[in-house]
Amino acid sequence: MKRFVVLLGAISLFVPSFAHGAKVKIGFVNSITGPEAPIGENLTNGVTLAVEDLKKKGIEVDLVKEDDTGKPETSMSAFEKLATRDNVTGIVGPYSSKCAAALAKLAEKYKVPLLIPVASKDDITRQNLKWTFRLSATTNDYAMVLLDMATKLGKPKTMAIINENTDFGTSGAKSAKEYAAKKGLSVVAEEAYAPGSPDYRSTLAGIKAKNPDLVFMVSYVADAILLMRQSRELNLVPRAFLGAGAGFATVQFAKEKDISNDVFSSAQWTPDVSWPGAKEFNERYKARFGKEPTYHATTAYESMRIMAETAAKAGGSANRTRDLLKRGKWNGIMGEVKFADYDGYTNQNKHPMLVQQIQNGVHETVYPPQYAPKKPVYPFPGWGK
Amino acid sequence: MAIFVQALISGILIGGVYALIGIGLTIIFGVMRIINFAHGDILMIGMYATYYLFTLLHIDPFLSVVITIPLMFLFGAMLQKVFINRALDALPQNQILLTIGLGLIMSNSVMLAFTSDYKILTTRYSSSSVTILGISVSSPLAISFAITAAITAALYWFFLKTDTGQAIRATAQDREAARLMGINVRKMSTIAFGLGAALAGTAGALIAPTYYIFPQVGSIFTLKSFVITVLGGMGSVVGATLGGVLIGVAESIGGVYFGSGWKDVVVFTLFLLVLLFKPAGLLGKSRT
Amino acid sequence: MTPDSNAVYRARRISLASLTLAIGVLFLLPLFVESTYVLHLMILIFINTITGSSWNILGGYTGQYSVGHAAYFGAGAYTTMILLQYRHIAPWYGIWAGVVAALVTALIIGSICFRLRGPYFVLASIAVAEIFRVSVLNLKNITNGAEGILITEIPPLSSGGILITDWDSKVPFYFTGLVFALLVILVSWRVGRSKLGYYFQAIREDQDAAHSLGINPTIYKNIALSISAIFTSLAGSLYAVYVGFIDPGSVLSVELSVQIVMIGIIGGVGTILGPVVGAALLVPLSEGLRSNAIANLLIRAGIVDPESRAGAFLKENLGHAHVLIYGILVVIVILFMPEGLVGFVRRAVARRASR
Repeated sequence: MKRFVVLLGAISLFVPSFAHGAKVKIGFVNSITGPEAPIGENLTNGVTLAVEDLKKKGIEVDLVKEDDTGKPETSMSAFEKLATRDNVTGIVGPYSSKCAAALAKLAEKYKVPLLIPVASKDDITRQNLKWTFRLSATTNDYAMVLLDMATKLGKPKTMAIINENTDFGTSGAKSAKEYAAKKGLSVVAEEAYAPGSPDYRSTLAGIKAKNPDLVFMVSYVADAILLMRQSRELNLVPRAFLGAGAGFATVQFAKEKDISNDVFSSAQWTPDVSWPGAKEFNERYKARFGKEPTYHATTAYESMRIMAETAAKAGGSANRTRDLLKRGKWNGIMGEVKFADYDGYTNQNKHPMLVQQIQNGVHETVYPPQYAPKKPVYPFPGWGK
Repeated sequence: MAIFVQALISGILIGGVYALIGIGLTIIFGVMRIINFAHGDILMIGMYATYYLFTLLHIDPFLSVVITIPLMFLFGAMLQKVFINRALDALPQNQILLTIGLGLIMSNSVMLAFTSDYKILTTRYSSSSVTILGISVSSPLAISFAITAAITAALYWFFLKTDTGQAIRATAQDREAARLMGINVRKMSTIAFGLGAALAGTAGALIAPTYYIFPQVGSIFTLKSFVITVLGGMGSVVGATLGGVLIGVAESIGGVYFGSGWKDVVVFTLFLLVLLFKPAGLLGKSRT
Repeated sequence: MTPDSNAVYRARRISLASLTLAIGVLFLLPLFVESTYVLHLMILIFINTITGSSWNILGGYTGQYSVGHAAYFGAGAYTTMILLQYRHIAPWYGIWAGVVAALVTALIIGSICFRLRGPYFVLASIAVAEIFRVSVLNLKNITNGAEGILITEIPPLSSGGILITDWDSKVPFYFTGLVFALLVILVSWRVGRSKLGYYFQAIREDQDAAHSLGINPTIYKNIALSISAIFTSLAGSLYAVYVGFIDPGSVLSVELSVQIVMIGIIGGVGTILGPVVGAALLVPLSEGLRSNAIANLLIRAGIVDPESRAGAFLKENLGHAHVLIYGILVVIVILFMPEGLVGFVRRAVARRASR
């Protein structure tokens, strides 16, 4: 018996257990200042919570934060610094697609695994890169899930597209147009606007004249609110307003009850989705930061969690971390995560997109039915007084 | 046809706000010959002031203009006395850079203090509109247009009928001559800048209920205000008013017929045409 | 020889020697410095030196302050990238096409803007640059619009069967940047001393007087602009291939134009050394602020106690405040050192020498 205990003790010394004070150094590139700063803040919050949770599990994360100010070249110098001077095991981030595009190639060059939480530009994971991983769904998915739902709820024939002429807006519009063709919808209007305009009335009047069944929009919060306010003013009434992520999925937008009711938006995550820990995360985030988490926060949280846990398992080796990321499987507040190669994508997680609809000032998940507790309201009932 | 009229009306209404910004800039340029690159950022400060007066003290944005005007006047006067005054004899290029630097300081300080979160000012009437003959007219914009008209009228009276107003015009026409006539040109510069800032801040207050507020919002308006002032004629208040409305309409109608993405190109092309063929602007006096 | 001219002779020998030494060190740097981060900073400094110096030829020498130089930077960048990514033409040919594109742009812009003077010229230069940017943004079929152009690979450079570089490390970019920067400084210097340079300065001092003396302002302003545009476009092409990704916001924006002007002004407008100093100062400063290095330095030097409220605020926010400090620097330079740092130092040295 005594020998058995000694043997057990000896074996336990050799079992790498990360549950006892493992230390990992992880880099975090984010838009802390610059035009994307408001959204960058959500990512920072998500990562903060992740680091706390990891500590509770016994993983001590030495987090090195870098600000990329929203510019690709700054993002690159941040990555360089993390990879060569701080010698991190892995890097989470950045936020924006153009920075992510620049970093993906650096990851390959410096052989440091990069886990992209939420930058959605398709091309990034279509380059056969072995060291770049993406957690979130791609821009294509944002459009696809909305059109899938719309065509299931009714038989719309025409669609108008309004998008901001940024990278995100343009790729969203492109995806919508391509998918619309596949679904037999004809695109009757396509308006790309420069964000920051105070007045979209003429644009919307033109769209109203075409009488589209669906109005597909890709905007950030502020323009989303303006667009909807002015749509109401002009009495634009399609069968559904489809908002592709970003602006329409935020709480700020939902609160504008006069204009937000019954608007659909696609999201990577919603507070009432039936993924493990999602609801608890929502409460905790609200209590801590005074507002609801966006999918930027949740993807950042999950990315940091996955990266740190994997890095700890790999004993701090970047190479081994990459291997484990490739082969691993996780299930958390973002649902099931597995980085797979499919359809021309490499290391892309097949994340299921959700559709929310704002009912009475609150986002309710309405599609797809297996994750959605509520039913959608269709067609759009018009602007009440 | 309906679309055209709708675009026209919307353009005129938003043009009212543009006009206010333009008037402020034209006064500053007229008197001090300085291109104030920080003009839009001053507008931004006006917006934030309005926002906090609304959320903390529950004062309606249109009413709070009464507070914003003197506040922004003092702010502008301070800027002039402390910074701009020292550079009055510097190269114009340096003056431009000075105002750019000041603008950067303003927008970034606000960002540090209040974060970059977009702030939306929602009043009961933010989304309401009136439909006249099938054309939708935004209520808050209509009110701001009315207030702008009132302010423009008041300014015009100020410049024509009061001593200070005439002194400012004299300084704008010929600084040296004005000085020889006993006008304190330094004081006029301070007043002019204060006035310009007050107008920019007021424009911010008026547009706050229908727009959104964030630290970098100024840059969008700075460029537009240059176009407006040149179009109307540097130094002419009525010119800037006209210029503002014209640019609002050009933008709106340009957006309909060339696509929203090309709106800015329409505005800038108009700008270049004016610069090349009628550099004094519509109502400016010929003076290179 | 009088003692004075002896001193001048010696001073010139010293400055020539130190210049040669400096250039030598720059060429040998990659041998001693392994840190890719330092190389990266140097490349950024080179690019900023090129843009600042080329702007200086038009702005400093000729007195035409263009705040729309991003148009030439972007012309070079986009031409090179489009040819590389969509037509598979190697960048060492592409950049010359970029130069041609920039020259065409310059001549168009010049013909519109040079009729205007002073602040009107400034405003017009901004307007045309913006028209250019929005056009590039909207002409998606050619430029891929807002989505930008991402290069997937750069062909290896070989000569006579020997591989010179496959562009895998930063070193080839470093040397390209160094060579271009030295080239533009050389051109700047030669032009400054030539008849051309005097014509430029005459136009700057008093365009009408110069005209009355037989100097055609339109021709010479366009020459200045053309030289300026050529080098700015080279910088743009280098930046594009180096970073690997461009979009209208990163190479054609007003912010970029303002940055280019700032380098010249802060360093010292109208001098050769000015833009170099400006770039060498602003790039590391900007990086240092952004990456919190300066905050950490202050804490380590014991100037600020991290536990105190000021210290905590600094640590949290100094990293975010880099643009703010940038703005403060510009204001200070304009108000108290209008000739830029180089001018300020020169005057301080002259004052000491005359004591």
